[in-house]
Amino acid sequence: MLKNYFKIAFRGLLKNKSFTLINILGLALGVTAFLLIVFYVVDELSYDRYNIKASRIYRVNEDLKLGDNKVQYAVCMAPLAQTLKSDYPEVENVVRFKRTSSHFKKGTETFLEYDVLFADASVFDVFTLPLIYGDAHHALAKPNTVVLTKTAAKKYFGRTNVVGESLLADNNVSLLITGVMNDMPATSHFKANFLVSMSSYPNSYSDEWLRSDYNTYVLFHDKSGSKKLEAQFSQLLKKYSGLQMQSELKMSYDAFEKGGSYFKLNLIPLTDIHLHSNMTGELGVNGTVQYVYFFSIIAIFILVVACLNFINLSTARSANRSREVGVRKVLGSARKQLVFQFLSESVLIVFIATLIALAAAALLLPVFNQLSGKSLAVTVGTLQWLVPAVLISIMVVGLLSGAYPAFFLSSFRPVDVLKGKLSGGFQSSKLRNALVTFQFFISVFLITGTLVVFKQLQYVQNRDLGYNRNQVLIIHNAFELGNQAKVLKQELRAMPGVVNATLTAFLPVASARNTAIFYKEAVADPKQSLFPQVWSVDEDYVSTLGMKIIAGRNFSNRMSMDSSGVILNQTAVKFLGLINPINKTIYRSSGGVNPTFKPYRILGVVKDFNFNSLRENISPVIMQLSENSGSLSIRINTANLPALLTNIQQKWKSLSSAQFEYAFMDAEFDKLYRTEQQVGKIFLTFTILAITIACLGLFGLAAYAAEQRTKEIGIRKVLGAEVSVIVALLSKDFIKLVVIAIVLATPLAWWAMHQWLQEFAYRINISWWVYALSGCTAIFIASITVSFQSVKAAMANPIKSLRSE
Amino acid sequence: MIQITNLEKFYRTEEVETVALNKLNLEIKTGEFVAIMGPSGCGKSTLLNILGLLDDPDAGSYLFNGTEVAHFNERKRADLRKHNIGFVFQSFNLIDELTVFENVELPLIYTGVSAVERKTRVEEVLTKMQIMHRRNHYPQQLSGGQQQRVAIARAVVNKPKLILADEPTGNLDSSNGNEVMELLTDLNEQGTTIIMVTHSEHDARYSHRIVRLLDGQTVMENIMM
Repeated sequence: MLKNYFKIAFRGLLKNKSFTLINILGLALGVTAFLLIVFYVVDELSYDRYNIKASRIYRVNEDLKLGDNKVQYAVCMAPLAQTLKSDYPEVENVVRFKRTSSHFKKGTETFLEYDVLFADASVFDVFTLPLIYGDAHHALAKPNTVVLTKTAAKKYFGRTNVVGESLLADNNVSLLITGVMNDMPATSHFKANFLVSMSSYPNSYSDEWLRSDYNTYVLFHDKSGSKKLEAQFSQLLKKYSGLQMQSELKMSYDAFEKGGSYFKLNLIPLTDIHLHSNMTGELGVNGTVQYVYFFSIIAIFILVVACLNFINLSTARSANRSREVGVRKVLGSARKQLVFQFLSESVLIVFIATLIALAAAALLLPVFNQLSGKSLAVTVGTLQWLVPAVLISIMVVGLLSGAYPAFFLSSFRPVDVLKGKLSGGFQSSKLRNALVTFQFFISVFLITGTLVVFKQLQYVQNRDLGYNRNQVLIIHNAFELGNQAKVLKQELRAMPGVVNATLTAFLPVASARNTAIFYKEAVADPKQSLFPQVWSVDEDYVSTLGMKIIAGRNFSNRMSMDSSGVILNQTAVKFLGLINPINKTIYRSSGGVNPTFKPYRILGVVKDFNFNSLRENISPVIMQLSENSGSLSIRINTANLPALLTNIQQKWKSLSSAQFEYAFMDAEFDKLYRTEQQVGKIFLTFTILAITIACLGLFGLAAYAAEQRTKEIGIRKVLGAEVSVIVALLSKDFIKLVVIAIVLATPLAWWAMHQWLQEFAYRINISWWVYALSGCTAIFIASITVSFQSVKAAMANPIKSLRSE
Repeated sequence: MIQITNLEKFYRTEEVETVALNKLNLEIKTGEFVAIMGPSGCGKSTLLNILGLLDDPDAGSYLFNGTEVAHFNERKRADLRKHNIGFVFQSFNLIDELTVFENVELPLIYTGVSAVERKTRVEEVLTKMQIMHRRNHYPQQLSGGQQQRVAIARAVVNKPKLILADEPTGNLDSSNGNEVMELLTDLNEQGTTIIMVTHSEHDARYSHRIVRLLDGQTVMENIMM
């Protein structure tokens, strides 16, 4: 019986080639997109789950409110970890990380490495990072020891078994290699190529309870421990931080809290960090759970659009299948058997489509990786969930999309269909209209979404940032030159094509950051405090980066007093509540026990500039005139960039043997928005896909509609109807559905995109024309699709169509 | 075999009610060959559909081999149909996607006959209908006469007690038509009851008895033998 069904199904598919192509292609496209997005989503959800103890690992976060400044930290105090381990029995182990970057020497070459972490020796007990060589228990126990990854070992030594070798780091410190570990999984929320023993970092023994620097992870004996510990945090802080507060801030912890300020500790599960944590001091750039939801919805949308195609086309084709249904019923087939037949047919079609989709997804994976910035791959692990998932989805999609056609077709009465009474079935389907409307509802939604994402990105890229990021070359490793950095700066300034240069590691794109506490008066009063970025810059900083001084003046080397002067950004002035800030004095706390207050005179106010991503509001910045030769930023103005680069590089080589590492500031800026750009591209790609699939379906439906109305068209033409009238007649019904879809989708699209934009501190208003444009696009695409069939039908010779009846 | 008493069937549209069968009485004995004739719209096809359990009457009784079947549900009707009744249509109604062999095999699949036996029986009946050499062809590749022979083969492959034929020669030329009528006569002589709706007096002459309908009622019966 089943064989007979499949035989019929196969031959039917071969016979109606265009129907089959549209149906299978549409489904395959849909399933391909679905699979790729599922890959993406599964990857995002799998972060940190490679750790065997993942469910028992938590990170300690710190919420700080000081006066009006509120900050959430992914880091906490140095002594906390040890205290937790020794005082709280529910804690099994703790590990601290401190992020750093370091130079390592390989022969005469020096490389700057960013993925370097100081780590407590317990790291290998808490996290699942197996060592290939070396002993995990003792690897990081002693100062100046390092465990590196296989890749790093190969980079520096050309082989992997390098235990016992040493690596020469900054300031000629020699690190003994005590272990080599596998490269960290891509699905880890932090990346490290080098784990340096925490004991190599002197500050790690600090007893400071008012300073947060360490990413601290706690392993509990069992999950319930986290609740127990969290309940005791406030007590713990009172006990330890309270004491030091008394000495530094000259106030009791209770008074501190009464003033509206607070310290709070809380725990976040390890597996939540990647998608749910975006705090100050994260170990790496995390993802956003919103995008996971976003993409999941798009994936389901696309699959639904493809399934609806299937349902629409199958029921539209019903007229052609009705005779078969009649004959089968006459020959004794029960309805149940017919339902089963049609369901097995749809499962077969879905199966074929899925096979094509699997192949397509495999082929497209590298392209998708480029698009999404991921490195997804099919592994044995993937197959474990993929194979059952695919089988289940074939059944589910096959049954869901086959169910309506099956019940619809099998309900035909043989007496009717054998007499050919059923041709009216096409127009009367309200359900089909609803489904087409829904498909375009989704399409309009996605078009609007794409437009808004791109508008916002464009806005971000064209916004006046308060500085000029174009034509700025950054030499990231200027510190290699030591004292010679200044010499390079002066020589470059004299070079034709160079406008100006500034020597500092503090830049408005991702770079060094430093914070401090300032007070309005020389008293540690939290209400009068400011918690700004403090940047060391030189006198050329403002002019090189194209910032604007809106009050007072810039630093000047000729004024010896300027080293105790500061320039504030507008936000800092606002936070301090200063009316005429110029020449007023503010005080920087030295911190620690018995702090001293150093006075600074405000020399100028710089117009606010964005230095984080536009997702965040501008926070207070205070600039000081002090030497920092971290990197050298050069404003250039030349038509011949390669020649200028060569000249600069020659100058560099005459001063240093280190590699010349440079970047352009606008490119660095774009990096801040890589996620959004990727989201934009993914959105665009899948929108095009969804519309293509919807149009494929519409194309098929239009063909059937034209076929069903052949006689009507013939009669109308004989009676004198023009081609254009007939095209309009045939297209009208479909366009009406698209218009309904636009009306329904617009409010939803407005709401959803409005939500998304809330993530940006600086964002566009969605103007009316965005909706108009997406609506028109949908109508335009639908019209073209439908009219292709309508024109064909309208141009046909009426004699032919009438004779065929 | 068939006993119909006061059978009624109406067709209703929003405004008009048409009487298709009006308190019709009819008895058909096992082994008979009955032709049903009458002008268009007299209720011939409605009667045939009800006899074949493709349609149900609005009132009256229909005894099939002594069982009241007038109000059987769809499952029971399908069951009775597949074991007892074979159909032959004017337009053949073969399934285009299946070969000659597969078309004929279909009723056997629905009655759950094993694959081996199906092969024997299909080949047997195809040989009998002299269409064996076309067994792997598709319906579109055959002439009208050949298609109708396949349709008859399909109708008889299950060895039904009753064959219902709805203008079996309507789409055929006279020589092919005669061949089909000969086939039906042969089947009847082997014991199958045949009820045939026809417009053709010529075809009707092959039957034992002609039932003439007008406006849903029997107006005359001619005994041919």
